[in-house]
This record gives sequence, structure tokens and C-alpha cells, in this order.
Amino acid sequence: MVTRQRPRSTRLLVVALVSISLAVITLDYRQGASGPLAGVGNAAKAFMAPMQKVVTSVTDPVGDFFSGLANLPSLADENQRLTEEINALRSQIRSDGYEQEQYQGLLDLMELRGSLDPTSVPALVIANGISNFEYTITIDKGSSHGIEVDQPVATGFAGSPMLVGRVVAVTPASAEVRLIIDRDYAVAATIEGTREAGLLTGQGDQDLRMSFVEPGTVIEGDESVFTQGYEVNGEEGLYPPGMLIGQVARFVPAENVTQEYVEVRPAVDFETLQFVLVLQARTEA
Amino acid sequence: MTRRVLVTIVVIVTALLLQSTLFWQLKLLGVRPELMYLVTIVIAILEGPNEGAVTGFVAGLAQDFLLNQPKGITALTLTLVGYAAGLARQYIVSPSPLMPTILVGVGTAAGIAFYQVVAFLLGQLQETFTFAVRVTLLTALYGAILTPIVYPLLRRVIEGSRPTRVVRF
Repeated sequence: MVTRQRPRSTRLLVVALVSISLAVITLDYRQGASGPLAGVGNAAKAFMAPMQKVVTSVTDPVGDFFSGLANLPSLADENQRLTEEINALRSQIRSDGYEQEQYQGLLDLMELRGSLDPTSVPALVIANGISNFEYTITIDKGSSHGIEVDQPVATGFAGSPMLVGRVVAVTPASAEVRLIIDRDYAVAATIEGTREAGLLTGQGDQDLRMSFVEPGTVIEGDESVFTQGYEVNGEEGLYPPGMLIGQVARFVPAENVTQEYVEVRPAVDFETLQFVLVLQARTEA
Repeated sequence: MTRRVLVTIVVIVTALLLQSTLFWQLKLLGVRPELMYLVTIVIAILEGPNEGAVTGFVAGLAQDFLLNQPKGITALTLTLVGYAAGLARQYIVSPSPLMPTILVGVGTAAGIAFYQVVAFLLGQLQETFTFAVRVTLLTALYGAILTPIVYPLLRRVIEGSRPTRVVRF
């Protein structure tokens, strides 16, 4: 670098870098998800994914063995191998509560997978979003496993799928999932018992907010909130109806705010989320 | 020179990796640290405004490409942060060992605030004002807390890769 130690050329350098940054912002802003910069972004994500996976598997001892599961031929084999592995590992680790919890979670997920449409892909969470302003996770399955943008992502146990988010970016071997708590996230939802529909939006680390609820709706608190199926011009919504999103935490009447809304506590604990299912076919849950 | 570039890239990639994995579990009151700001400011302190600006730009761009927001905002922010921190360092004569900690705290707070203003002006930020203030203060605090660990480490790595120094293998 020839500009070293010369204040004037340093200033010139800063002006140049700032200009490049502004050009990048403008370009990306105009081109959105289809431009060449988005391609570079996907390449960067693809580059990071294997390393994130390694780091996560170091910090999470159970990580590795789950990733092999998807390659197994059938569900029965999967369950059998899973049980065997659990038994083997259980004897290894004796009665470590944490580990047992992991395996229970896996078993639950496999049962859920069996109760859903067979075309769902199990995946391991290998990283979380990088910024304080985005709530995303990265999973270890990508377009080569049939994952596409906008596919819903779930977790939970048999008969009770819980909505995690949806895929927003894919690389061949990883995918980025926007969580329902992200502020850019919105999903049509319905409150159990009332059959009232509303729009649920993420609020970051605070409870979700459900707006456009019919005025006069009686809400007691603690009702479950589920995804709402809908159809606009023959286009189905992204999410299968009946996936659990959370519980009503609080009803905020329109006395202090311009529009009343319901606060919904998400059912999924995103802090400890390790395994998810990517739903590839729309199915009645 | 090549060695220096490689070292900087390794430092940035490592920081990005840690930030997206380990520090999700190590949040400070719900906020994770901004390691790119920390790395940029520390390198600016060690090497001056020129390297500060370049490192900031590269680190910012690297982080931008992993985000879904319009790319370039972090690069813009960190270029200015790195330049300002390097410049500030030249005018501070204090030999206090707290100097890097304070510079990282102030620099991160200013940078995060600037980032949020730019993102807000572009219509990309939907946070509440209290959240914005909380993130600004907590990332600054977290960065300051991490500085005594990261600064000596980075100093050894960076000084070990100085092109003027003769390195024998």
C-alpha cells in the first residue's frame, strides 16, 4: 500500500472506500435478491457454512450425528438407527441430563416427521444470524437437498408442529431461515377457540404482535395461536394451517394505542433450537 | 504484505464465525457483541487510520454479505469508524492501558448508532427507539468488556505480521 503515512492520501482512500460503500448500497438496494451482489452474498454464506458447522459441532457435542440422519433410506430405518445410537451413546455418557434432553428432542422430531408429509427434510442448526438486527438461523441443508426459498420450517413433536420460520436464502449445502420473531416477518394466524384471524408480526426479542384482530373479540389469555391457511387468487399461503405459533400473553386494548393488538409468546425456544424440519410439501398438519 | 492481508482475513473470518455461532449463547442482556467493530477499532489503534479504514471496509463488507439487509451499510460505517479510531489514536498521548477499552466502547457506540441511522433512512430498520438505544449501549459495553482479552491477542498477531519486521521460520 503506497498511501501509508500520508494524511492526504489517507483521506483520499477513505473517500474512495466510502464511495464504494455507497455504490454497493445503491446497487444492492435497486437490484434486491436477484442482482450480482446477492450472488456474492450467497457465495459468502456457502463459504462460511462448513466452518460454522464445525464450530457448532465443537460447541455442541451431539451436532454431528444428526446430520447423517437425512441420508437414511426410510423412516423406519431412521428411527431404528436413532434408537440404537441413543442407546449406545446413553451408555457412553451415562445419565447426563442434557444429552438425554437432546435425544428426546431428536426422537420427538422424528416422530413429528413421520406424522407430517414424508417430504420434509430434517436439518441441524449450524449458526445463528450475525447481527443484532436480524433474527435468522443457518441450517446444514441446502438446494442440493431440495430446499427452496419460502419453504416453511418447523420443529416440535408428533402431531404438534411448531412454526420456526421460513427459508429466505439457499446455497448448495446450507440455507438461511428467517425466524418468526424477526421484525420483517409476518404470518397469518388464528386464535384457538375464537376462530379470529389476524396478522402476526415479529418484534425481535419481545413477544410477537398480532394485529387486525376483529374488534370485540373475547380473549382470555393463554389461548394457543396457530397458522391460518388462506388462498388468494388460487395461490395458497406459504404455511400449512394448524401449526402452533405460540400462546396469547396479553391483550392490549385500543385505549392507549391507535389499534388494539394481542401479544403472543412464541412456542419455540429459539435460544436452544438445534434441530428443525423443512417442509417441502404443503400438508394438513 | 501478503502475510498481513492473510492475517487480517483470518482474523475477520474467525470473528464472523464466533459471532454467528458461539456468541449467540453468550449474549449480554439479550445483545450479542459486534466483533467486526471491535476488530476494526483495535487494528486502527495498532496501525493507524489508513489500515483502520481498509480493515473496516473489508470487515464491514464481509459482514454485509452474510446479512439480508442492503449490503454496504456496515462497510460504510466501519470504514468511517476505522478511520476515526486510527485518527483519534494519533492525538491521544495517554499511556493508560484503559485507552483501547475506552476507544472500543466509544467507537462501537458511535458506529452502531450511525449504522442504525443509515438503515433507518433507507427504510430498513423497524426497531423501536428504546431497542436502538439499548443495542447501542450494550454492544459498546460488550465490546469494551472483550477488549482486554482481544487487544493483546490481536496485537501479537498483527505485530507478528508487520511487513517491516524480519520473520524467520
